[in-house]
Amino acid sequence: MVRRRNLTRRELLKSSAAAAGSLVLSGAAGPLAFAQGSDTIRVGVVGCGGRGSGAAHDCVNSSQGVKIVALADAFADRQKGLKDEFKVPDDRCFVGIDAYKQLMAQDDVNLVILATPPGFRPIHLAEAVRRGKNVFMEKPVAVCPAGIKMVIEVSEQAAQKGLAIVAGTQRRHQPEYVETMKRIHDGAIGDIVSAQCYWNMGGLWVSERQPGQSDVEWQIRNWLYFTWLSGDHICEQHVHNLDVINWAFKDALPETIHGLGGRQFRTDPKCGHINDHFGVEFIYPNDVRTISMCRQIEGTDGNVSERVVGTKGVTNCSGVIAGENAWRYTGPRGNAYVLEHTDLIKSIRDGKPLNEGKRIAESTLCAIMGRESAYSRQQFKRTWFLSRCTLNLLPPDGLKLSDAKPVPAFAVPGQYQLAGWVPEERGRKRG
Amino acid sequence: MSSPVNNGISGISAGVVGATAAVLGQTAHAQGSDKIKVGMLGCGGRGNGAIQNCLEADPGVEIIALADLFESQVRRTRDSFLKKEQVKDRIKVNDDHLFWGFDCHEKLAKCEADLLLMATTPAFRGRQLMAAIKAGKHVFTEKPVATDVAGCKEVMEVARLAKEKNLAIVAGTQRRHQTSYVETMKRIHDGAIGELVGGQCYWFGGGIWFNGLPENSQMTELEWQVRNWYHFTWLSGDQICEQHIHNIDVMNWCFNGPPAKFTAVGGRGWRSYNQDQIKTAKDVCRKFNNGSEESWEKYNGDIWDHIYAEFEYPNGARCLSFSGHSPGTGRNGEKIVGTKGVSNCSGSITGENAWSFPGKGIDPMVQEHKDLIASIRSGQPLNEGQRVAESTLTAIGARIAACTGRVITWDWLMNTSKQELVPRDVKPGPGLFHPIATGRDEPV
Repeated sequence: MVRRRNLTRRELLKSSAAAAGSLVLSGAAGPLAFAQGSDTIRVGVVGCGGRGSGAAHDCVNSSQGVKIVALADAFADRQKGLKDEFKVPDDRCFVGIDAYKQLMAQDDVNLVILATPPGFRPIHLAEAVRRGKNVFMEKPVAVCPAGIKMVIEVSEQAAQKGLAIVAGTQRRHQPEYVETMKRIHDGAIGDIVSAQCYWNMGGLWVSERQPGQSDVEWQIRNWLYFTWLSGDHICEQHVHNLDVINWAFKDALPETIHGLGGRQFRTDPKCGHINDHFGVEFIYPNDVRTISMCRQIEGTDGNVSERVVGTKGVTNCSGVIAGENAWRYTGPRGNAYVLEHTDLIKSIRDGKPLNEGKRIAESTLCAIMGRESAYSRQQFKRTWFLSRCTLNLLPPDGLKLSDAKPVPAFAVPGQYQLAGWVPEERGRKRG
Repeated sequence: MSSPVNNGISGISAGVVGATAAVLGQTAHAQGSDKIKVGMLGCGGRGNGAIQNCLEADPGVEIIALADLFESQVRRTRDSFLKKEQVKDRIKVNDDHLFWGFDCHEKLAKCEADLLLMATTPAFRGRQLMAAIKAGKHVFTEKPVATDVAGCKEVMEVARLAKEKNLAIVAGTQRRHQTSYVETMKRIHDGAIGELVGGQCYWFGGGIWFNGLPENSQMTELEWQVRNWYHFTWLSGDQICEQHIHNIDVMNWCFNGPPAKFTAVGGRGWRSYNQDQIKTAKDVCRKFNNGSEESWEKYNGDIWDHIYAEFEYPNGARCLSFSGHSPGTGRNGEKIVGTKGVSNCSGSITGENAWSFPGKGIDPMVQEHKDLIASIRSGQPLNEGQRVAESTLTAIGARIAACTGRVITWDWLMNTSKQELVPRDVKPGPGLFHPIATGRDEPV
């Protein structure tokens, strides 16, 4: 499996060198890393549930020379599938809420897949970068502004250390999206004047509370439905579409946010406290206003897509442009869930590590801002949110699976307190 | 009160059609006609406002009849206008022209008024308009004109009948009579901002009154519901229909017609948690239930507190509609986006053909009555019936899309939907309470 002939001196294991405290840049780190062994990508999976398992398979299938060598999960039962399949030895399978620390202490692991509930992502990413690991991390990457700031800061450290970070917003690696975006950025649809994106769907799985489960264990097993873990569904799913719209705007971000939302149909306590729908207006620079709509209600009409409108044409962002420069993508499609790993590993092996950390943090930020605006029904500016919103949902140090953690009330306008919002500001115009 | 001039106008009202009517109209005008006899249906806040606007619009206007569900409202309205120095001489309402009860619109339609103003609860507009047009009256109607699909279709039928009978229907979507809007729309339609590719409209506010029962009230449940009509979808059409229709109408105006498709989300949110409102609802519950609060929730109304909708117009443009009531940031207005520029629809165009409205503001609430009366006098009565029915149905289409979680098309609304929320025979008695929409109701 190992493609030694493709090995370069700036090869992937420089990450281990960084972990060992070396500050030398990649070109110099190569020999040390090379000396340590092979060019094998030795993967540790943190979070072995559905998405973690999917990512592990995609990663192994994406490139030659990839091995799953260590696993971490809060629960042994969730880990068993990957453990059996990839024959990971017992002493490389770590269980518990702090299992990620043990996994990242394994020196030979040079890439980690972070696929736990998103609430843990910032602290897991920080530990991974501290330990000098390259990272593939699922989206979203935080659930609160405190987490966003942490991810951005750690991503800068990763860049300094020459570590790769790729995020599971796979559309960024999907050829029809990539090719369409090139054209949008080259002016094929003129100036962008309007855009829409949607994640409207039915319901999702629920993990019902079992006898004897603590609050924290049940919430982590049923993580979709708790804002501190998933960020609510606008964050957990719709971030894909919001990321595409940001991409169309050349990663310019919305300046003003105003959202609506509620918990209208999915009110069963087994579904935690999150909303079942959001509608958010994101206002980009030059007062370009966009529609964002997402819904999780069983039996309703679905639509997962994006659309960008310019002065010269319209596009679905994924292979079709109509208007003055009409065009249709005809190239290979590929499996973007695999391609994102191919691109990641190639970037590591080429010594030109991709770093998508800041970008995915910003798209996640958009989702979080939409959520907080909808919860509170307040319109605010991104600059306000980043500088003044004090919301911090990061898991506390020393969190234990046995801990009690009451489910918060769902967000009722007029009752929900937007953290950091000062009532005197109400009278001030915020655009 | 009766004069040859009045008869002349009434002659038009009586249903003379086509060119003949136009000639008659001119004749009436040539005769120096100055009296327009007006009857008012619905003497609440907006009804009183409409009387004032109509009196201001034309010195020939005389109020000759008042009708409302409640006797107290018609008497209070007459008393209040008789105290206004500037207009009291034109308030000529005899006791036998005060009408109340659920059939008051039928009695009003039989009186000798030329023009009826309608500001009752939107649920009953269709049947009231039908009675008025059949009786040969010109009409000014407040918006919206229905709360359900059947009601919109009834108003479209009324509009056809009014055209046949050469009668005026002007609707209280006053932006259509506001110079800043009219002048901007001309330019938009002439291509000043290029092809229309997007837009937004908003009406998000802090809340609305919630009426309890007056002391010693003898009202039945249904009468109380009508008094507290805003909070029941079958009576108001919900806020998107009752209030946001103004902005929706402007979007339709931009596109010269209604959307082809609706996608929407929404919910009741805050309205189930508004403590002041809950207190009143419990109070009403006790009064109708021998002191029991058990079923208070149904008295708390069934409307939602927000709907976020996308309208897709026939040319493919997708526009945002953002409406509701709750604590938070308020918004009101419209924006239309074209390939060559952007406009607020009311006096400002930016882009290739930048322009701003140089004129002075007028009061559009008066202007709509001026335009109406001028059109009657000219024998070429304005007929906004079809258009306001379309805008009402646009709001209802978005509401249905939100309440069902389904993509709703205009074609489905017009040809398939059987939605009818308002009973044909509404009488004092037990209330009509519908469950709160779930977000995945079955489309009807």
